[in-house]
Amino acid sequence: MKDFTRRDFLKTAGIAGGGLVLSSSLLRAQGKKAGDTLNIALIGIGAEGEILLNSLLKLPNLNFVAVCDIWKPRCTYGFRRIFREVKQKPEQYEDYKDVIKNHAKDLDAVVIATPDFWHSPMTCDFLEAGVNVYCEKMMSDTIEGAKKMVRAARKSGKLLQIGHQRKSNPRYIFARDKMLKEGKVCGRIMACNGQWNRAVTKDLTWPKNQEIPEETLKKYGYKDMAQFRNWRWDKGLGGGAISDLGAHQIDVFAWFLDANPKNVVASGSKEYYKKDWSDNVMCIFEYDNPDKTQVFYQVLTTTSSGGGYFESFMGDEGTLKMSENPALTKLFKENNGPDWEPLVEKGLIGKVESTNADAKIADSRESKPPMEFGFPEKIPGYDPDKPIHMPHLENFLGAVRGENKLNCDAEHAYAAEAVVFKAREASESGEKLAFQASDFVVED
Amino acid sequence: MKKLLIVISSLALACGLCAKTLKIEVPPANLVGTPVPIKMTNLEPKAPNPEIEVPDDVTNVALKKPVTSSDDFPLIGELEYVTDGDKTAAEGTAVELMNGLQWVQIDLEKECEIYAIAMWHFHQQERVYHDVIVQVSNDPEFLTGVTTVYNNDFDNSAKKGKGENLPYIETNNGKVIVVNPPVKARYIRLFSNGNTTNDMNHYTEIEVYGK
Repeated sequence: MKDFTRRDFLKTAGIAGGGLVLSSSLLRAQGKKAGDTLNIALIGIGAEGEILLNSLLKLPNLNFVAVCDIWKPRCTYGFRRIFREVKQKPEQYEDYKDVIKNHAKDLDAVVIATPDFWHSPMTCDFLEAGVNVYCEKMMSDTIEGAKKMVRAARKSGKLLQIGHQRKSNPRYIFARDKMLKEGKVCGRIMACNGQWNRAVTKDLTWPKNQEIPEETLKKYGYKDMAQFRNWRWDKGLGGGAISDLGAHQIDVFAWFLDANPKNVVASGSKEYYKKDWSDNVMCIFEYDNPDKTQVFYQVLTTTSSGGGYFESFMGDEGTLKMSENPALTKLFKENNGPDWEPLVEKGLIGKVESTNADAKIADSRESKPPMEFGFPEKIPGYDPDKPIHMPHLENFLGAVRGENKLNCDAEHAYAAEAVVFKAREASESGEKLAFQASDFVVED
Repeated sequence: MKKLLIVISSLALACGLCAKTLKIEVPPANLVGTPVPIKMTNLEPKAPNPEIEVPDDVTNVALKKPVTSSDDFPLIGELEYVTDGDKTAAEGTAVELMNGLQWVQIDLEKECEIYAIAMWHFHQQERVYHDVIVQVSNDPEFLTGVTTVYNNDFDNSAKKGKGENLPYIETNNGKVIVVNPPVKARYIRLFSNGNTTNDMNHYTEIEVYGK
């Protein structure tokens, strides 16, 4: 139980750079191959940084060189987790520029999980210093910031993965490639809907004895501790719920439909929290695919009602309701659709025990409910016990080692996030906005 | 002798002599973020906290009392948070201990007659802590005279005996353990072994109602 105690820490505290620690200078950020140990740093160890750290600590062949957070307790937390779980001793920093100054030449990769408005400057600086970057989404709080990241990746020739983690989720990859593309389970997908509904939450607080000094807050762009803790709602720092939550899901529609939207109309409400960004946003997109698919998406932060979070592809032969939560994932067959037994035999879909086939219809105008199917028992690469962010990190680290390509590089992430930026603009203006082909690419 | 005390105690409570219904204050609910799926099938159904009749002079004897732990180097927070009286779900109110089976121990500083124990691990998110075991003793090393008052280690993974209690979902109501008949002890030791969201162990507040 007592695997590593405060006394052990004190005993080893003088062994900086040796003993338990792999000297970072032994490894170089070039010519990496499968199985090589990578030197990494983690910038930002808040709630999202902690989730990424949980996965990173389970991955092999990583040498944690540095952790960085302007909030000392969180930086210490990252250090202690790494020190105690993998017996490494990363250096602790407040300012990411010191990480670059002291470690860039040895770093293979950095993982950035800071507030949105820091993503672009940090990413660009690390890329310029020759370090591969995994950066949480949104790429930036502004579209200009996102463009700078794309250009920095091109110029540096380094890898930039954006944290749209569904892109590496084996269940999502299987659903897109096997169920929709190969099996065509949904038929013609004329409509989609998606949502992320969350219950009301209070502003985040902080222990009064752990406040960041005012001058430090100002140095890093926060007016006070309250803004530091609740930056997601503020213009100039974050992008609100449509950006925080919606970006994950709006990305999935374009990815699964193989198309970008033509236009968007949206409505936002700021009546509940009275913040800079909307509490609730509802959007309708028309996609530029052969079926001109209509997509409805909503993000609500005033209720958890309505079935949680999912992206639903509603075709004339079946409906696939995807969610990161496997329990919310469903597949329904329209009763007048083609026989799905061949798809079951081919392993493209699975059967479930319960079925709606014999459900009673209360009203003759009501259609008979669709029959329920599901995923096949085995999905390549899917491990139900693996944290949902881990495959995307593995994909990134694999790319650094030259084992695979990125699943969400800067160019693709930009195209996905351009949709979110415009949807947010539409929700603010109330106007129907059109997309141009140029909206999805970054000019040099 | 023990049986006689129980009978007298029960009679006194039944007659309403110097008895009161224990009022355990519950912090406000403060769930944050998207729920993480809980993959367990043997969960205790959600229910209101039990009403407990106790003598008038029963109070939270754990408040501000010293806390020790199997992990004396918490990942975040301090062990004193466990008895500091703050059971709200906010940043800086919970202490986080390493993964694996860990315990915290409260020294009541004298032997007390314990009627109930209330515990809040972490309630910003619905999750289930594994192998929750609560023991009391007058031996600070818990080698002798140990009484287990709660145990939901259904598969004996903690190797302290199979428990009959069911795993439960953390909420702002906490978990209230009725110690009936009351037990006399100076030390309370609480075990856990990670949770359904991550491998870590957390304690926001422990209250021990006794006299």
